[in-house]
Amino acid sequence: MSERPLIPRIACALLFLSLAVTTLPRLVGLVNNARTLLPLGYEARREKQMGPWYASVETLRRELPLHEPAALIAGPRDVESAVFANYYLYPIRTRLFVGRDNYRNAAPDPALPKTIVAVTADRVTRTTYDTLRDRDLRAGHRVVGAPTLSEPRTTFILPMAASLDGPAPETFVIEATIANPNPAPAEVRVTFWPKGLVRTITIAPGATVKYYDVVHQLFGVLDRGWMRVDSPLPLRAAFYFANRGHGDATLLPNIAGPATGIVAAPIYRDTKLFVINPAATPVTAVVGGVSFPFGPHAFVSWPVTSIPRVSGDVYAFVATREMNGRTDFLWPR
Amino acid sequence: MIGLVVTFVIFPLVGWSIGRRSIGEAFLFGAGLTGTLLFLAGVAHVPLVVALGLIVVWGVGSGVWELMHRSRTPQLTSHPWLPTILMCVPLIALTFVAAITPLSDFDGRAFWALKAKGIAHERAIDGPFFRGATLDPRNHYPILIPLDGAVILGVAHDSDDRQLRWLYLGLLAAFALLVRERIGRLVSPAAGAWCAALLVWVPQFAVEPEGSALSAYSDIALAAFAAGAFFELVEEVLPPRDLATSQPRDLATSQPRDLATSQPRDRAIRFGLWLAFLVLTKSEGLPFALVLLVIGAFVFRKRIVIPAITSVIAAFALYVWRARIPAGDEEDILRMLPTVFQKLHHLGDALAAFPAHMSLFPRWGLFWIAVVIAAVLAWRVDRRAARLAISVILAMLAVYAGVYIATEWVVSDLIAVTADRLLMHVIAPALFLLALGARAAVRSSWNRD
Repeated sequence: MSERPLIPRIACALLFLSLAVTTLPRLVGLVNNARTLLPLGYEARREKQMGPWYASVETLRRELPLHEPAALIAGPRDVESAVFANYYLYPIRTRLFVGRDNYRNAAPDPALPKTIVAVTADRVTRTTYDTLRDRDLRAGHRVVGAPTLSEPRTTFILPMAASLDGPAPETFVIEATIANPNPAPAEVRVTFWPKGLVRTITIAPGATVKYYDVVHQLFGVLDRGWMRVDSPLPLRAAFYFANRGHGDATLLPNIAGPATGIVAAPIYRDTKLFVINPAATPVTAVVGGVSFPFGPHAFVSWPVTSIPRVSGDVYAFVATREMNGRTDFLWPR
Repeated sequence: MIGLVVTFVIFPLVGWSIGRRSIGEAFLFGAGLTGTLLFLAGVAHVPLVVALGLIVVWGVGSGVWELMHRSRTPQLTSHPWLPTILMCVPLIALTFVAAITPLSDFDGRAFWALKAKGIAHERAIDGPFFRGATLDPRNHYPILIPLDGAVILGVAHDSDDRQLRWLYLGLLAAFALLVRERIGRLVSPAAGAWCAALLVWVPQFAVEPEGSALSAYSDIALAAFAAGAFFELVEEVLPPRDLATSQPRDLATSQPRDLATSQPRDRAIRFGLWLAFLVLTKSEGLPFALVLLVIGAFVFRKRIVIPAITSVIAAFALYVWRARIPAGDEEDILRMLPTVFQKLHHLGDALAAFPAHMSLFPRWGLFWIAVVIAAVLAWRVDRRAARLAISVILAMLAVYAGVYIATEWVVSDLIAVTADRLLMHVIAPALFLLALGARAAVRSSWNRD
């Protein structure tokens, strides 16, 4: 060794030290970390490494059926977490959807997984589409910031009540504001027809309640129909048919009973005639010269290319969509 | 534990089944051969379980027979103790860490180990997993290493990635042993031992979360297979040295010819097999194999036909397999190449990428600076061998820079996450240059004295 020249040996030592100075401390750190993990079981070590996120994956893996595919829905910032969830859930098959909109746009796909898993960087949870939708809507902003409240009334009908999604970004909701100007609490009975779902809400004296999606918030459904509001005390209210995806909204009339003389106005695309029977008994109405029976509390719609003449004890209106996607309503006189 | 046994028994025995070689080379050869044969079987719709059974029976049987009956490969007669200890220290530490710490890297879990699980579960390489039934973000990535992983998972009857930890550690250890043996044979045992020690201390190989032996990336495998091919090239131009005297073998007197290196045709076959492994290991492997083929054509001359055939078979099988399954979200470089002229504004970033990363001290220390100096010195000592190493490094870095220009990713982002891993691929020629350079420095010092 002593016969070997010094300079190459010094160069070699320097090169080695330049590598070791980085590697050695990190190696020591890794060994120390391994020593702290050693007493734990393997899954517990993963939990220690990845935190509660991995614990939620473990819980989910036990919960999900092995042979049923699952949709992993993650926000754009959580795609990485979804990729790892996919890894740890395998052999449970998964499909990744970045955002809820991609999932709903895939609705026509017969292979679309029915089981939905919401993935964030914090946790992985089994959920439903409705829950995700509600979470997104709650986190967003209402379209109408300053609603125009009606004159006080005790009973009225809302001819259109809906909570529905079209292709992204179309998201139809009813934004509601109900104010109790009275000095006593108001017990308000709200009925969603034609399903006949009933909810009672209490509005404190002088208070105002607001809903970003009244149908889903009150009745827990994604559906459409009409609504009846009954209160022992007169209330001021504003209900807007809002498209959250487009950011537009139309004030809905609070009607008292049947009306059929739809005002003539331009119609555009996806035009539909809506007929509701507010009564608890069957009625017959004439639509475009043809008689149709309508059951109690019926809510019926069909596509039209022009505004038809309607008569009978029903409430009829037309909805049409402008080319920019905004929904226009043609109400009866 | 089963994964450990499977990894360190099956692959070396399969490696030894086609000729006696060092343990490091046997492991790499076994891993490459097992993955390649299973891939070809899968493409030909031979059930993987049947193919694996045949490989194990043949590999273990002939490997054991080979070990027991063939003459022993000449062993290094001198074992420089300091570099040997230095090589063992990180490998022992990494073994301890790999045994206890769960996998936590990105690509390993997102792509590579996931594929291993998918293949092990479905026992096929074109089953529902690869046909879009589940999320496989990089569906077209070559699957040689995942196939090896699937062998381990399948034999262990356990799809937990803890079984795979040994494979990646084994690849680094085998790579180090290959470097130690080949550079030891081509330059000097001391140079081989020091190069192996340096290799396992490079942060990017030892401790980096993304790409090191503690991750499940395929870059160490690619670097090792590229090293195997490179050393076959060098052995063709540089006469192997006597292991005892460090003198060129022609001058040595009584050592038997090394069976593994005696036949030029065998060397061409081995070179071809390494190239096939490259093609089937990572997407970068195909251009790497092409570069080595072109350089190899000057070295092997007519015998380049053999490696060309093996490379074409591997590339064709990969093409057929990819044609059967949907693509993932990986970039199609071939389709992007024509757009390269519209993206010349990436040129500056692409050219600066490797020099910038080579000088990243926390990842590479003074390694690449030393390589540059060594290349200059090596050029003076053995121009032909040095030219070979330099041309492999420069050609591959030029190819990778070309990809950076053509990419549709944000170039700076892509460079940040890939440049160090791409540099790993050319570590063997770089270490060889270091060894040559060190020899030149020693000679120069002697001459001065």
